[in-house]
Amino acid sequence: MEDKTNDKTEVKSAPEAPAGPGGARLFVTSSPHFLNNESVPKIMHTVVLALFPAMAASVYFFGFRALLLYAICIGACLLTEYAFQKYMKRPIKIYDGSAIITGILLAMTLPPGFPVFGAILGSVFAIGVGKQLFGGLGFNIFNPALLGRAFLMATYPVLTTTWVEPRTVQKAVDAVSAATPLALMKFEGKLTPILDLFTGNVAGSLGETSAIAILIGGLFLRYKGYVNWKLPLGYLGSMAIFSGIFWLIDPSKYPDPLFHLFAGGAMLGAWFMVTDMVTSPTTDIGQWIFAITGGIMAVVIRLFGGLPEGVMYSILFMNAFVPLLNKHTRPRVFGAIKAKAE
Amino acid sequence: MAENNGYSLWYEFKKGLWQDIPPFRLVLGTCPTLAVTNSVINGFAMGMATLFVLLGSNIIISAIRKYVAPQVRIAAYVVIIALLVTVADMFLAAFFPPVSKALGPYVPLIVVNCIILGRAEAYAQKNPVVPSIMDALGIGIGFTMSLMVMGFIREILGFGSLFNIKLIPPSLFEPWIVMILPAGAFLVFGTLIAVVNYISSRKSAASDKA
Amino acid sequence: MNPVTKMFMNLVGVGVVSGVILAAVFYKADPMIQANKEKELKEAIFVVLPEARDYKILKKSLGQEEFTMYAGLNEAGEPIGLAFKADGGGFQGNIGVMVGLDLDYLKLKGIRILDQLETPGLGNRIANPEFEDQFKGIEIKPKVEYIKNRKPEKPNQIQSITGATISSDAVVKNINNAIEKALKSFPTKEDLLAAEKAVKPASATVKAKEATDGGK
Repeated sequence: MEDKTNDKTEVKSAPEAPAGPGGARLFVTSSPHFLNNESVPKIMHTVVLALFPAMAASVYFFGFRALLLYAICIGACLLTEYAFQKYMKRPIKIYDGSAIITGILLAMTLPPGFPVFGAILGSVFAIGVGKQLFGGLGFNIFNPALLGRAFLMATYPVLTTTWVEPRTVQKAVDAVSAATPLALMKFEGKLTPILDLFTGNVAGSLGETSAIAILIGGLFLRYKGYVNWKLPLGYLGSMAIFSGIFWLIDPSKYPDPLFHLFAGGAMLGAWFMVTDMVTSPTTDIGQWIFAITGGIMAVVIRLFGGLPEGVMYSILFMNAFVPLLNKHTRPRVFGAIKAKAE
Repeated sequence: MAENNGYSLWYEFKKGLWQDIPPFRLVLGTCPTLAVTNSVINGFAMGMATLFVLLGSNIIISAIRKYVAPQVRIAAYVVIIALLVTVADMFLAAFFPPVSKALGPYVPLIVVNCIILGRAEAYAQKNPVVPSIMDALGIGIGFTMSLMVMGFIREILGFGSLFNIKLIPPSLFEPWIVMILPAGAFLVFGTLIAVVNYISSRKSAASDKA
Repeated sequence: MNPVTKMFMNLVGVGVVSGVILAAVFYKADPMIQANKEKELKEAIFVVLPEARDYKILKKSLGQEEFTMYAGLNEAGEPIGLAFKADGGGFQGNIGVMVGLDLDYLKLKGIRILDQLETPGLGNRIANPEFEDQFKGIEIKPKVEYIKNRKPEKPNQIQSITGATISSDAVVKNINNAIEKALKSFPTKEDLLAAEKAVKPASATVKAKEATDGGK
C-alpha cells in the first residue's frame, strides 16, 4: 500500500478534470491535508486533548465506570487496528492517534452501565469494519465510532438504551435507572432544565451529557484551527433554526431550540463527529449542504421518528453523501472553460 | 453426451455445490438468502421449496424444450414456474403451517427468484432431461446449503440457539440482535462471499503452482 | 405449423395444463389450509377466554367495514366472554392482538399477540407472556392505560416494556380502538346476548350433535 496517495487521487480525479499549465492536473483530495509542519499524529493528539474536558466531566458524573469504558474502548480499538494492519500487511500506524480518538468517541456514545464485552465488540466493529476494511484512515466512508455505535445499537438494543442517573454509580451498588432528557421529552413530554443539560447533570451517554465541557473542547480545536467552523455552525445552526420553527408553531408540543442543542448528542456530534476530516466534504458548498441537511435530519428524527435521538443516524446518513457532494460541488478552476454540452 | 455420461452427470451435479453455488458465486437468489435465513430451519425450508420448484421447472422445461416456440418461451416458463411455486406454497400451508407463516411472502416470491429462470434459460432449455435433473439437484442443494450456513451463523449469534433449541445460556452470551435483523443478513452475506472468494483464490493459486 | 399458431398452441397448452393441476392441488389442499387457519383462530380465542370450549362468530357492519367478534362458550354452551381481533400499526409493522372481554364490558379476560414485526429482543417482547398476562383483569373504563418504569397504580393500568414504549403504546392503542368498535357493535350486554342467540357455534359445522345443544 505504498502508493496509497496515488490511488486516492486517481479515484478523486474525474475524467473531466481540466489540465493545468504544463499538463499537471489539479486534484481535489480528501483531507487531512498536510500543511508545513502539520501531521496526522499532531492533529489527532490535539483532538484527544480537546476531548479531555468532556472525558473529565463524564468521569465526574459517572465515576470509575466511565474510566473503565474509556480504557476498554481505546485498548480494543488500538489492538484491532494493529491486528488488521498486521494481517493485511499494511504499515503499522497505531501511533497516529486516530484509533485512540475512535475509541474515546465510541466510549462517549455508550451508556455508563454498558458491559465490557459490548464495548469490545463495538470497538472491533468500528475499527475493523468501519475503517480497516475500507482501506484504513482516509478511506473510510463513515465515521468509525458512529458506525460502531450503530452496530451496538442494533446488536444490544436494550443495553444501549438503559441509562442511569448521574452521580449514582459511585454512591450505591445499584445505579438508579433513568431516562434521557430526549426520551423524557418524546415519551412523557417532560422538559429537563437547561442548566442541568448545560453542565451535564442528566442521564445519557458518557460524553454527551455535559454541553459546556464539549463546547470548551470544540472551541479549543477551533482556536487551534483544526475545526472548520462551517461544519459545527451549519449543523447546530440548522438544528436551532429548524427546531425553532416548530417551537414557534406550537411551544407546548415542541421543545425550544436551546433544549435541542444541549440535549443528547448534538454538541458532541457537531464538534467531534460532523467535523471528522475524513468523512466530511472538502468543498465549501459541500460542507454547508452536509452540515445543514444533517442538522435538519437530526431534528426530524427527534421530533417525528421512532427514536428519541437522531444525531448518530443523521451524521451517518450524510456521511454516505460525501463522495457525491465532493464530486458535484467542486469549484470550477479559474479560467477553465465549461465543457460544451454535446 | 452418451460417451462420457458418468463424468459429465457428476460434473453437472457438483458444480452447483461450489463452483456455481448460487448466492455466493453467482450472486443469484439473494432476496431469500437475506430475508428468511434467521434460523437454520427457515433456511432449510426455503431451500427445499426452491429445490422442488427448480427440479420441477428444469424437468418440464427440458422435456418440452423442442416444442416451445422461442418467441413465447419466457411466457411459458413463467407459467410453469408460477404453477410449481403455488403448489409448493399450498403444500407448506397445508402441512407445515408454522413454516409457512415464518417464510411469509417469500415462498410466492420464488417465482421471481433468478435462479429458477436462470437455470431454465441457461441450462434446461438446451439440455436433455437427465442432465437437467442433475443440474437442478446440484444448484438446489447448493442453494439450500448456503441458506443453512447463513441460518446457522445468524441463529447461533442472534438467538444463541440452533434448530430452535437454546444452546448458549444467556448468562454466558448476550445474543447479537443485529444478526436476526436485515442488517445482520447483509453482514453475514458479505462475510461469506469474502470467505468463499478467499478459499477459491487460494485454490486457484495452488492449482497455478502445480 | 404456422409459427403464430404454434405460439398460440404452446401458451394455451401450458396454461390449460397448469390450470388443471392447480385446481386439483387446490381441491386437496384448501380444506387443510382452512382447517389450519381455524385451529389457529380457535387457539387464540381459547387463550384469551380461558373457560371457553367453543365459540360463535358474530359479525356486525360498522359503516364501511365489517367487524368480526367471537363469543366464547363454556361447556354448557353458554356465552362467557367476547373475543375480537385488534389490528393497528406498531413500530415497524402491523400488530394484531386477540382481545378477550367479559360480557359486562368491565374487564379484559386476556390478550394474545397474534402478529407482530417489532424489533427482536426489544419491541417483540410484547408477545411474551409476562407482558400479555398483565392485561388479565384490567378494567377497560375509562380506557386501558400504560405507565412507565413503575408498578401500575390504577385498575386500568399496565406497565409498559422498558425501552419499547412505542410497541407497548401501540398494543394499548389497538386494544382501546377495538374495544370501542365492540361497544359500538353491541352497546349493551342484552344486544350481545340477543345477537349471540341468533347464530350457531362454529363447531356446528363439524359436529352436528353439539350444534343442536349449543344453538338453544
